[in-house]
This record gives sequence, structure tokens and C-alpha cells, in this order.
Amino acid sequence: MEIIEIVSNSKRKIVISSVRDEELNVLTKRRYSFIWKTLKESAAIYKLQIDGEDDILGAMALVDFPNEFRIEIKLLASSKENVGKIKKYEGIAGCLIAFCCRESIKKYGYMACVSLIPKTELKHHYINKYGMIDAGWQLYLDGKGLHNIIKKYSL
Amino acid sequence: MINKQFAGYSDEEIADAFVLPQKLTKRQQASAALELVKARKKSLGGMSEIDKLTANLLQLKFQLEDYIKSEDFNEEKSFGYFLKEYLHLINKKRNEFAAEIGIHETLLSQLINNHREPANSIIIRLELHSNNAIPAAYWYRVVEKEKEYFIQTNKQLRKNQKKFVKNRLAVSL
Repeated sequence: MEIIEIVSNSKRKIVISSVRDEELNVLTKRRYSFIWKTLKESAAIYKLQIDGEDDILGAMALVDFPNEFRIEIKLLASSKENVGKIKKYEGIAGCLIAFCCRESIKKYGYMACVSLIPKTELKHHYINKYGMIDAGWQLYLDGKGLHNIIKKYSL
Repeated sequence: MINKQFAGYSDEEIADAFVLPQKLTKRQQASAALELVKARKKSLGGMSEIDKLTANLLQLKFQLEDYIKSEDFNEEKSFGYFLKEYLHLINKKRNEFAAEIGIHETLLSQLINNHREPANSIIIRLELHSNNAIPAAYWYRVVEKEKEYFIQTNKQLRKNQKKFVKNRLAVSL
């Protein structure tokens, strides 16, 4: 998977992996908008880094619902310098969502599903950008929708 | 309502960088769960057999990718294990699949039960059968991983071969 450095329009290879306990202190509210430590017990937390670099550019908390063949994105945040008009890299959230789609298919095959509970104001942005399906309170991706996101961000 | 810490960003910019936590009441949670089940039932009902096969092949591909990349060796995850999974995903009987890749059913069983190592030709045929969905290199690397573990850990083989080696180097790295 790759993100794009906006200033140079160059692609940078990224890796997404589990956040180690000691790294939770690095995920500060100041830079990553939330206190990630509080999610440690209830969710699996992942980080996005440029391949070969230590800096964390984004993080995501996932909750697995095996009985429903579904993974829920509880929280996702790009680092502060990657939000808004002056952001450094494009595609951080997309790559994290694509990773979640991949994990879901890896676990559940054709039954796989990724969901999130959006803020009402943001709902149509997720629908437009990621092709998510509106299920009332929740948005979700399954079948071809998952595949499309994986293809868009992984190939 | 979006927290004031995000003031100054447009909704699009926020959605582009975040999935914010949303708290629902118990009642809303129950309603959300029910709505999702209904919507997914409809989606699954409309899924074609090709879509299901694609998703299942991706599942095997991702499992293979992660296993190959991982530094750990898992005795269970042999070539035979993944081949059996492939047959299961494409819903083929052994005799049917053996005929499709031009081998005898006995050989297929030996491969699945890890009684025989696959020849390169078999690995290529698997790639062709999956229409390149599972590259030959993936199957090859699973075999390599097994070989590497065998070579690294086989004490008996070392014991047996010792007698053939003379004048060993007097260095230690």
C-alpha cells in the first residue's frame, strides 16, 4: 500500500501493524486527537508508518464481531499534520480502511463486512469516498465494496 | 455533533482524516444492530457466485501472503493444508480437480496429505487453474518455508551426514 506525499506528488510505501503496549504513550491526544490508551482493552489498535520509518502517521482501533463476520472501525485518526488543507500525505485514512477490509476478508471470506458508526454530518462523505452502504445508524462495506477499496489502495 | 477540537476543518476534511467515535444509547444500539443485519441480509442475497468465489480466493491469497511474510513456521500450514483450502473454496471434489490440472487423484491426495512435494509443473498448474489469482510464487514459498524449517531443525540428518565431512574449518563465526 502507498500514500502520496503531496508536495512532491511521490508515492511512499507504507506498513500497517499492531501497536505495541509501549507505543500507546506515543499516541498522544495532542498529535493523534484521542487518548488511545483507553481503547487498549476493548479494541485492536493498528498504526500506519512509512516503510522503514518510525514515525506513526495514523492509527485505527478495530473491534471484531466474529459471530457477525464483521469488523467495526471504532476510531481512526491521521496525525495532526495530515489533517486539512496543509496535510503532508494523502491516503492515510484510505489505506487504514483498506487494511481493515483486507483483515475482514482474510478472516471471513465472502461473509466479510466492515462497519462504522458515523457522525451524521460525515456520513455522505464516507459513502461518496469509500462506497459505503447506508444501514441507518451504521455504514458498511461488504462483497464487491470491500474488494474495490482493497484494489484502490493496495494495488 | 462534532467535537470543537475539530473546529476550523470542513466536514470533508474531517471525514478524510478520521472516523470519530459515536456514542449511541442502548436503544439506538439495538436499532443499529437490527438495521445492519437487515441490510447485510439483502446484500448477501444479491451476491453472485462469482463475487463469492472472488472473496474466497482473496481470503486464501491474504492468508498465504501473511503466512509467507511471517517469520514464524507453523507445521499445520503446509502446502497440503493450503491446497486443501483451495479445493474447499472452489468447491471441487478431489477427482474432479485432479482431472482439471491433469494429475492422478492419488498424486493429489499425496500432495494434500504432505506425502509428496509438488513439482514446479504442479505449482504452475495451480497458478493457471486460479487464473493467476494465487501466483505460483506463493505456493513455491510455502514449500520453501517447510524446507527451510526442515533443514534448520533436523538433528537426525546432521547426525547421519557427519561421517561424510572431514577436515572441518577451525573457525567459529
